[in-house]
Amino acid sequence: MSLLQLKGLTKFFGGLQAVSELTFDVQPGEILGLIGPNGAGKTTAFNLIAGFISPSTGEIFFQGESIGGMKAYAVTRKGIARTFQIVKPFKKLSVLENVTLAAFLKFPARREAEQAASRILAKVGLSAKSQSLAGDLTLSEQKRLEIARALATEPKLLLLDEPMGGLNPTEIDQASKLVKTICQEGITIIWVEHVLKAIMNVSDRVVVINYGKKIAEGTPEEVVENPEVITAYLGAKKK
Amino acid sequence: MKKLILAGLIILLLAAPWIIAKPFFVHLMIMVLMWTVLGASWNLLGGFTGQVSFGHATFLGAGAYTMMILYLKCGLDPWYGILIGGLVAALIALPIGYICFRLRGPYFALSTLAVAEIIRLVALNWESLTAGPVGLLITTLPKVSFGGQAINWESKTPFFYIAVVITLAALWATAVISRSRLGAYLLAVREDIDSAEAVGINTVQVRVAAFSLSAFFAGLAGGFYAMYLRYIDPDAVFSIALSVEMVFIAVVGGLTTVAGPLIGAIFLVTLGETFRERFLVGHLIFYGFFMMLSIRYMPEGIWGKVRNWFTKSPNTGN
Repeated sequence: MSLLQLKGLTKFFGGLQAVSELTFDVQPGEILGLIGPNGAGKTTAFNLIAGFISPSTGEIFFQGESIGGMKAYAVTRKGIARTFQIVKPFKKLSVLENVTLAAFLKFPARREAEQAASRILAKVGLSAKSQSLAGDLTLSEQKRLEIARALATEPKLLLLDEPMGGLNPTEIDQASKLVKTICQEGITIIWVEHVLKAIMNVSDRVVVINYGKKIAEGTPEEVVENPEVITAYLGAKKK
Repeated sequence: MKKLILAGLIILLLAAPWIIAKPFFVHLMIMVLMWTVLGASWNLLGGFTGQVSFGHATFLGAGAYTMMILYLKCGLDPWYGILIGGLVAALIALPIGYICFRLRGPYFALSTLAVAEIIRLVALNWESLTAGPVGLLITTLPKVSFGGQAINWESKTPFFYIAVVITLAALWATAVISRSRLGAYLLAVREDIDSAEAVGINTVQVRVAAFSLSAFFAGLAGGFYAMYLRYIDPDAVFSIALSVEMVFIAVVGGLTTVAGPLIGAIFLVTLGETFRERFLVGHLIFYGFFMMLSIRYMPEGIWGKVRNWFTKSPNTGN
């Protein structure tokens, strides 16, 4: 059974159809890349799945249960965690406190929550920074902190919104490895990204959207050959 | 070591009315303690949760009127009345919270101001319950004895000890909450509501819980205030000035700290009460002045500043 199913998911903002009749499935254990030109509706799709906005029409099923229109915190409790494209750390709290807060969802006692948080910080390579204020981290570290915080809620499905935006090539390589490691631990990932090279290397499958509509779906190799995708990114060939 | 210092301070506090037996000094300490509770109440919401309320007098008034009405109409002893006053304030906060927390930031602050004015006007006009602008008056407090000795309500000392109990309860609750999961969730809400939702926190519920807890302590202080002064009217307990003073004390003392409200109250109330004899509301000028100084030169408040000298830890949780 699919872990996540979108069925005809549509969102209007006034007259604008930001996401239109979006339908795709996500299988357990895969890394699904979600790509498309700027303004294609990728982040809106994420916000819909994560419960930050409710769909105008269409349905979202997670493990067979309809979650469309559910509040964000309830979606997180079901096992879907997200990161934000523009990082939103708890700036005036320490890195450890940031992740501990998220770990409280599964570990109500502070000590256990802190232990879980420390384990996750080690995994994303932020142990050395655990006592720093989140607001003092570099962008690359804040992006990792976002992932750590999402992981601390022990999700089944992780939504990563441009985890590599603004990173340099070395940092991108590190982030790619991290995404792979997370997936190997049994967490399914949907990933929005502009860094196409990274997404093509890491993703099992790719869904391409443009103007809120799905225009292609398949393995990375299939998708890059797709004429519609090339048109969406580069424009149509002159005749 | 910390515990020893704390125990020493509490013993010193308990002995204070004997060390300096002047009635004005005891009165001053009572006011400091009462304002500590009000500052701590505001700190839970404004400091930890980052939700600014300009209407906390609502809860002070609710506690005061609850205690008064229960005593005058039902003959319920004031100490139970104070406790029930706190509970009534906490209950009133629930619907207000659920409505006002749909708004964020400044809009929430403005809505609390509006609610406080509505409640003040209700209290002013619901004459069958509150006697309106005439106010409510207690002529005698019930006879009780403690350790075989009748308590003399004409002396200020018994009120001092009631105030000590309420204050310690409020500060202890702040300390416990700041280390708990709830305390961490409050900080998350203060820092970023979207991120808090993303890690599974029901931010409306958490904010309402903080609001209600905060209201509980304001209600306790209100019930105590009514018992101590033995007279209340709507303008005395529902006025905006009271709401604003709570903000001053919490901010000047140090937001998100346990001892901050106590420090803020010692500092501001002492000044205020000293000058009150000369100008009736002159103390507000000083409050405003120190508020400005504090915001400009130490936004973390007096206690926050002192604490920073001792620790370099970034943790704001305790």
